[in-house]
Amino acid sequence: MMEIDPVDDGPIQKDVPTPTGPSASPFNSPAPQQPVAPISKEDEARQVIEMLRAEDVSERVSAARRLEAAAAVLGEQRTRSELLPFLTDAADDEDEVLLAVASSLGLLIPHVGGSLHAHCLLLPLEILLTVEEAAVREAACKSTEIVAQSLPQATFQGEYAEMVSRLSSKEWFTARCSAAVLLSTAYPSFNTQQQNQLLTNFSKLCRDDTPMVRRVAAQNLGKMVKNVVTVMGRTSLTPTGKVTTLLLPLYEELASNDQPDSVRLHTTDNCVIFGQIMSDIVKDAPLEHDELALISRVMPLIMATIDDRSWRVRWTAAAKFNDVISAYDMLPGTMESLVPAFEKLLQDPEAEVRTAATFNLAHVANCKARVLVSNNGRPPDGGMDSSGHRTSVAERLVKRVTSLTEDDSDHVRAALAMVATELAPILGKESTITHLVPPVLLLLRDAASEVRLNLISSLSALNEVIGVDLLSQSLLPAILDLAQDGKWRIRLAIIRQIPLLAKQLGKDFFTEKLISLCVGWLGDDIASIRLAAATNVKELAALFGTGWAMENLIPAVLEIRENKSYLRRLTALQACSMISLVVDDDTTRSELLPIILEMAADGVPNIRFNVAKELQLLAPKCGLSVFESQIAPVLSLLSEDADRDVRFFADKTSQALKKEFAMSE
Amino acid sequence: MMEDSVDATSTSVSSIGSSSDDSSGGASPQMGGGVIPPSIATAGNGMPSEKTYHDLEAWLMKLSNGIPLAETEVKSLCDLARETLLNESNVQPVPAPVTVCGDIHGQWHDLMELFRIGGSAPDTNYLFMGDYVDRGYYSVETVTMLVCLKVRYPDRVFVLRGNHESRQITQVYGFYDECVRKYGSANVWKMFTDLFDYFPLTALVEHSIFCLHGGLSPSIDTLDHVRQLDRVQEVPHEGPMCDLLWSDPDDRNGWGISPRGAGFTFGVDISQQFNERNGLGLVSRAHQLVMDGYNWSHEKSVVTIFSAPNYCYRCGNQAAIMEVDENLQKTFLQFDPAPRRGEPHIGRKTPEYFL
Repeated sequence: MMEIDPVDDGPIQKDVPTPTGPSASPFNSPAPQQPVAPISKEDEARQVIEMLRAEDVSERVSAARRLEAAAAVLGEQRTRSELLPFLTDAADDEDEVLLAVASSLGLLIPHVGGSLHAHCLLLPLEILLTVEEAAVREAACKSTEIVAQSLPQATFQGEYAEMVSRLSSKEWFTARCSAAVLLSTAYPSFNTQQQNQLLTNFSKLCRDDTPMVRRVAAQNLGKMVKNVVTVMGRTSLTPTGKVTTLLLPLYEELASNDQPDSVRLHTTDNCVIFGQIMSDIVKDAPLEHDELALISRVMPLIMATIDDRSWRVRWTAAAKFNDVISAYDMLPGTMESLVPAFEKLLQDPEAEVRTAATFNLAHVANCKARVLVSNNGRPPDGGMDSSGHRTSVAERLVKRVTSLTEDDSDHVRAALAMVATELAPILGKESTITHLVPPVLLLLRDAASEVRLNLISSLSALNEVIGVDLLSQSLLPAILDLAQDGKWRIRLAIIRQIPLLAKQLGKDFFTEKLISLCVGWLGDDIASIRLAAATNVKELAALFGTGWAMENLIPAVLEIRENKSYLRRLTALQACSMISLVVDDDTTRSELLPIILEMAADGVPNIRFNVAKELQLLAPKCGLSVFESQIAPVLSLLSEDADRDVRFFADKTSQALKKEFAMSE
Repeated sequence: MMEDSVDATSTSVSSIGSSSDDSSGGASPQMGGGVIPPSIATAGNGMPSEKTYHDLEAWLMKLSNGIPLAETEVKSLCDLARETLLNESNVQPVPAPVTVCGDIHGQWHDLMELFRIGGSAPDTNYLFMGDYVDRGYYSVETVTMLVCLKVRYPDRVFVLRGNHESRQITQVYGFYDECVRKYGSANVWKMFTDLFDYFPLTALVEHSIFCLHGGLSPSIDTLDHVRQLDRVQEVPHEGPMCDLLWSDPDDRNGWGISPRGAGFTFGVDISQQFNERNGLGLVSRAHQLVMDGYNWSHEKSVVTIFSAPNYCYRCGNQAAIMEVDENLQKTFLQFDPAPRRGEPHIGRKTPEYFL
């Protein structure tokens, strides 16, 4: 146990608060009665430099984040000759400090003298590019790329190229990891000879002995291909081009089963980039035979991720399948294998993979290509088989929805419930009715409440497609069941759909079938439901008009107003007040205002002060004369109430209304 | 069942408990100004002054978004709260209708859920029966919110003291550590634990429902005995004040030794005798985890209410609150933990493993 009173032992607040320092706790805001003396920029710079040497790590971190301010004051000359050498020497600090330094260095270019002198920033950066902590190296890479962009061409192809090539052959793997990143972005700005050397270096890194290096190389392989194609054009894709001879073999090697899964993990991304490159080409001109051959070399790599032994690789493929589909949709013949591959992901043994794939269901269904109706045997190569019956991808995938409704995992079904209705506009009315409505009805009755909730929240997409007849016949019974669901959030989700449903179903049908339900919610046990129900009846009154509201809603409100519980009477008050805001002014004045004013005599103070609150919104609609003759007397009675909260809200409303009416005079 | 024990903390009583007497006087040396003198905190007719009102509204807005107050704001709040609570009785009369709630234990998200279920204050009147802090990760937000509501709406919201509203217990079960973590010092912990000394011990709804955190005491026969206690102190180790915050009802008749190491267990005979002698209809208490959120015992002369769903984020229990309407009709509302805001229901990210 603690022996001393911890309070007396508490840390004493520092004399100099650090106004922008992130290490300062937000709660230790300087006391208002001690004005903080304005710190001159010179002082701030001195303070930052002082803090860079501080004992406390958090102070050094905060100083490192403010390097820009210090450098601005020091001036170009001193930043180059004093600050940068200091930072270079301090590279053995804690990782947090180094991370902050690495990020700040990229901002210093204007303060070292612009692009002419930017190369001096490379000195500390080169050290940071080799440290153990990956986050520091990542930040250093970002800053290095910023600095590199600003370098004059001669420096870029000279000093910078040397640095990158130095890093790529260093003994310790951390330098080579950074090199793999920097090489892929440096490519376009090198001269031809350097470019060839760079590609050789890069392939070496892709075949590095250390898996960490291969992982970073794999991460940047797609970017590399993109840069090569941008620089060299379609010649790089010919049988003797760099992509065909050098980079695609790397694709194949890094996707191979001998690699660790964290390397194979990047196959999907790289294949997406490749598909995007080809799609860009196909927009302008048809693909050459050789280029089609390249696509058929990449396809098996994508297929392999679907069957990978590591679930992380399959999960990545499933989660990014929307990107895969968008990248390959325009390329001939690819969908014949991609769509079955996606169907396989939907049946993966791991629930996480199925969930990730399910989230992409609508994206995949949205693609333009047409596929064979079913997957009997191997699909024909060219995709030009005229005997097979072709259909849209959505038509084919909707059949999977039914089997997914029987999935063992709640998460998969919850994901399905979230996206299933998005298929409706893609499928069109007829197909939605035949294929999508039956599984949707199953999901509406799913055992897991989250599944039901997700489906209800996305129902409107479906309703708009199937039209009012079918809605009222097939979906409505299921919706009515859920209106009484034991979980209140499900009831809430249903209530939120009601105004839209009402619009679709029309006044007569709605009044016949749904009005009692809407009124019933006003008496729900859960406060949030009662409030949502009050908002709902307001929306209905706005939709169907004053006459309808007075006939169908107000009698129920009057009944609830007599309830024994003050919380139910409160709902009656709120519903009445909300309705009065949307019906015509005469009705508000003559019918609804009296109902509300009568409640000012309720025995429970909570009702009385809520009358005072509601009157603030209501009075402007009633006009000055009604305010003076009817509302003001009630408010002055309430401001003499025995309860202080009633007096408070009555006074508040009176003051607000007097101001408002005085202004409108 | 998870129950607290005082055994672990017994050694610290003398060093900490002794400072409680002068707690109203002292701001810690680091605390500057920013204190609203109590004399101008209320302006005439029981209304809060303009500045106090604006402060409180701003604080409530912050707190209802889950943002803790700054240390100086907590200081002002506690000064205001002490004035309010000082005027309340050991057996604070509470008018019906009111919604009675049990343990919250720093589960701020679930407190927000409670307001969604029962209605927001001040529209709904609330009586909380203690244990706002410890165990959950948001004790600071929870207790600040409830104290703030109490100060803003003293006639709508009532807060009683639980066995966790104590210097000793909060050092073991989390509130102390949370304060130090969130504020960088123990100042806020000291402000709140000093304030806890002023919380009423019990409440009486319309002369009929006796509400308290723990249970009955062999040293207390009548409500007048409770009224005579000097409550402004750290919860003692034994004696009537301790028992009110620590005791539990039991299936066995008579008084029994509590396995908690403080308070007693009491049987149905004791409860019925007590109710009869004091003209009560019901003893309403919290303090024990009950899986349905509420539990009748002692032939409906005692009810236990527990308002922390999935207690400690792993017990799987429902929570409940008890709505008492103006005719003293009781309705129990059960609820489940609030879905965590901002987090997707389904994890879509894999962790970055090492090679």
